[in-house]
Amino acid sequence: MLHFAKSLTRLLGELKKLPGVGEKTALRLAFHLLKSPDNVTALAESLLEMKSRVRFCSSCFGITEEDPCYLCSANRDDGVICVVEEPQDLLAVERSQGFHGRYHVLQGALSPLSGITPANLRIAELLHRLEDGKVREVLLATNFTVEGEATALYLTKLIKPLGIRVTRLAHGIPTGSDLEYVDAATVQRALEGRSEM
Amino acid sequence: MKLETLTVNSFRNIGSAAIVADDRLNIFHGNNAQGKTNLLESIFLLGTMKSFRLAKNQELVQWGAANAFLKGIVAHNGITQEITLLINNEGKKARVDQKALTRLADFFGCLNVVVFSPEELQMVRGMPESRRRYLDRAIFSSDISYLALHHEYCKILRHRNAMLRKGERQGLEVWSEQLAEAGSKIVEKRVAYLEELGELLQLYYRDIAGLDEAATVTYLPQKLNRDSLQLRGETRELLLAAIQRCGMEEERLGTTLVGPHRDDIEFKLGSKALKHYGSQGEQRSFILALKMAEIEYMQRRFGHPPILLLDDMTSELDQGRNRNLMEFIDQKAMQVFITTTHLENIRMQGITRYKTFLVEDGTVIH
Repeated sequence: MLHFAKSLTRLLGELKKLPGVGEKTALRLAFHLLKSPDNVTALAESLLEMKSRVRFCSSCFGITEEDPCYLCSANRDDGVICVVEEPQDLLAVERSQGFHGRYHVLQGALSPLSGITPANLRIAELLHRLEDGKVREVLLATNFTVEGEATALYLTKLIKPLGIRVTRLAHGIPTGSDLEYVDAATVQRALEGRSEM
Repeated sequence: MKLETLTVNSFRNIGSAAIVADDRLNIFHGNNAQGKTNLLESIFLLGTMKSFRLAKNQELVQWGAANAFLKGIVAHNGITQEITLLINNEGKKARVDQKALTRLADFFGCLNVVVFSPEELQMVRGMPESRRRYLDRAIFSSDISYLALHHEYCKILRHRNAMLRKGERQGLEVWSEQLAEAGSKIVEKRVAYLEELGELLQLYYRDIAGLDEAATVTYLPQKLNRDSLQLRGETRELLLAAIQRCGMEEERLGTTLVGPHRDDIEFKLGSKALKHYGSQGEQRSFILALKMAEIEYMQRRFGHPPILLLDDMTSELDQGRNRNLMEFIDQKAMQVFITTTHLENIRMQGITRYKTFLVEDGTVIH
């Protein structure tokens, strides 16, 4: 399109690869960057720096710059491991400030349709972490999708025989919401998972 | 619940049409292939967002147009609602009173419709798939949580089939358990629905046929060690056991052989299967009674009857059965939309109040 500004065309092409960015947003971003004098360098540098410094923790496979990561070396409860699909999920649990144990990031969920088998996930590494006998409980916090549920079930079958307690996040009505606005499928789930007062 | 007005733009062969409906009987008449059934389909879409002819979005949009647009004004309990549906290649966008809806669940209940078309007569002799589709559609329209469950089941099934196709074994049992879990809920909902429907069916069949023969519907789960499911709560285990037994066969064929996606429904008169031994007349009476039972079920569930769409049924049903149907409609005070090639077919039945719409080459002439 812009044969007179090849570098701009290249930038547009790269921007469009980003999630949620289409033709129009790419143009807007590119022209914004073109006009602003200083923040382009900062942006370019931060991108390169992030790529060169952020890696996966060799213990929990969350994102980190130090290995082992902050969460793995901090003084926390070694007896409980919270298993999540992606690093973003780890952040969500951590934000709640309700969990004080260790984490393990699977880096995905079982999905035969997309060719993701147990071997593609960090499952062997998780089992390895359970070998020293310190872990009393594994908390499965995979997503409540068909794939997340299958992954949780798969891990349960592997971990339960080791004599370790396996728990799953509760699901149902969101906190602070009116029952009348919750969709039928969620209410049904919540009914099934009702608990004793 | 009444549909007061219907507006259709660039939908199938209909360029533009607007009708003000009678609150009882509306007749679309005209020659074949003029667009009568398309009008019924547009009402069905406004009620369910689905086509009863299994059409893709693209097929619903008029040739050369970018979008199809449907609008209905529905009056119910003294309140009117405007329902609109915009259809294009990317999907369907629904609005109720000009507010966008993203989920089918929010759409549910604004306009309850039931369709009766020749396809349902063929269902008796047709493949199990057509009977499953009938049953699922009937349950969808009175239980919205069934839809989410159905989506979940289909996803699990696709994952499991992918594993079987590739010959992967590791983790297969997890998908089998998920399949049994979701599958058992579907089966139990289907069985419960048929049980309730069966009682109503019995009453209506006796009215129509005037015989004391028992008309029954039975759920036929495939590969299960049980002819029909009477017991609640053990379906999951029965499904799991069946999956175990079929393991070798599934591996060989590379597909899932157990579960609600393979099950069937059996229609019976007394002890004889309608599919093999029922006469044409018996089959028609049976399906008619089944439809009435479905409408009665919806009325009990929602407190009012649905809107009935009759696609060319007067030519399929004989005079006696037509009278049965018209009496039923009259007694329910339902709003009905009928298509017919010959207006006389309906006029003969002594109905005085109705509106007719002549449909010609995609245009509605009042």
